[in-house]
Amino acid sequence: MNRKFVLAHAWLTGGAALRSNWLYMLTGMGFPLSLLFIVGVLSEGSLLPYALAGGLISIVASNGIFTMADLGMFKFEYMFKDLIVATRTSPMDYMFGVMLADFFWSIPSVVLYFIMDYAFHILTPYAFVMTLVVASLVLLATASLGFVLTSLVKHQRFVWAITGMLSLVMMTFPPTFYPYTYLPKDILWALVILPTTPGAVLEQGFFGLGHTMWSMFAVLVAETIILFLIAKYLTVWRER
Amino acid sequence: MIEVSALRKRYSDGTVALNNVSFKLDKKISAIIGRNGAGKTTLMKILSTQLMPTSGNAKINGLDVISEADSIRKIAVSIPQEARPVDYMPAMDCVKLYLAARGFGPKRARAAAEKALRTVGLGDAMDKVAYELSGGMKRKVFVAMAIASDADVIFLDEPTTGLDPFSRVEVWSAIRAIKGQIILTTHYMEEAQALAEDVMMIDSGKIFAHGTVDSLLKPFAGLVRVESSKKSRSSYRIGNTWISYMKKSTAKSLVGKDDVIKPVTLDDLFIKRGVNLES
Repeated sequence: MNRKFVLAHAWLTGGAALRSNWLYMLTGMGFPLSLLFIVGVLSEGSLLPYALAGGLISIVASNGIFTMADLGMFKFEYMFKDLIVATRTSPMDYMFGVMLADFFWSIPSVVLYFIMDYAFHILTPYAFVMTLVVASLVLLATASLGFVLTSLVKHQRFVWAITGMLSLVMMTFPPTFYPYTYLPKDILWALVILPTTPGAVLEQGFFGLGHTMWSMFAVLVAETIILFLIAKYLTVWRER
Repeated sequence: MIEVSALRKRYSDGTVALNNVSFKLDKKISAIIGRNGAGKTTLMKILSTQLMPTSGNAKINGLDVISEADSIRKIAVSIPQEARPVDYMPAMDCVKLYLAARGFGPKRARAAAEKALRTVGLGDAMDKVAYELSGGMKRKVFVAMAIASDADVIFLDEPTTGLDPFSRVEVWSAIRAIKGQIILTTHYMEEAQALAEDVMMIDSGKIFAHGTVDSLLKPFAGLVRVESSKKSRSSYRIGNTWISYMKKSTAKSLVGKDDVIKPVTLDDLFIKRGVNLES
């Protein structure tokens, strides 16, 4: 792995971008915080802990999905991908570089959520550690999905369309803002195809809001491995 | 040294972009000239290991583009057509990031980027974010990447397209500062004439002329180009203009008031071939 490139990309395009345009960071926080507000108001606060637990997954997933938007910009607007293909940097180095750069944008939101989790007395050391594990898996799974899809599309306008659809599907249907027990079991299991579903279900367990379904952990690990392998082997890097 | 033998590229939609192309390039700067869609970018992409050929083979300094792509990527740099520095990144960071992709550590990348940016005349602009740079300065950032890489072979795909004449001359001067062998594509004849020792002309995926500027213009020795609105014998039509070639002395006595006499350039090879460069 070309760690020099991964770290340079993360810092130079993520850190630098955050410094030069920190307002854009608020856009990333907008959707999860708005849903948190709506859920909190409509449930008169009773579902707020669920939304706080799932919101973290929502932020990380949206981060992974928006990796696709950046990959599209780098591919179609800046021709940066073409520049990189002709170096010894591998597709996976490139994917990790862009994924970590985008993660810079999420750090303030993640910190804010942890603070709110603490304020609502649902954050424990165990929940904190397990959240980091689950969030990392969700981030890798969604970024891998975005990476493959970007390599297949022919124009940036498709990237915007796909990211819009994926955001909607990944963050609205899974139980990221409501108890997973509200869903009939067969629908819950149908939704596990989206990595945010096992992520959100696990989070509710780790935060003491429901039973920890370890089967969901196995599903999430399997999905992450499959999506990562698809990204590694099916991504169009050197064109044919 | 670039050696290409019977190279062919057919895209999945059936377009044949390169049709059994063979050549050898060993001069310091070689230019590949052709109009849009002639096959220049396809050729550059194959040579710089971004695209697989359909058949044939190509070698860069003895390394095969198919089986030894990884080794080629160590010694070659490719600057794509229409590449732009990332808008929100300073010029210095753009070069550093590219060098990191080539395996440079942070300190070495910084030193090399700074030196290269000064060489191309961006010493005072290296900390400016890309969207504050002019078109010429943006292209120079990429030339700085090529210089800083210290690569043996550099592929520049249309490095000055869209630039004003002044910026173009500035970029040419930056290109001359590159140490390795340069292969550039262009559709500006004056660019090829100003920079390249070796010129290759491509049309519809085939190379139809290859040599030094002087050798390519040899068939036109002693002739001038006459542009007229009226058809004459052995003339070539470009839009509403008829072009013919004759000796300067003959031209002066024959041409009418509205006719224009011009010196022969590499353009005329395309004109004689019936290729309208502006189409």
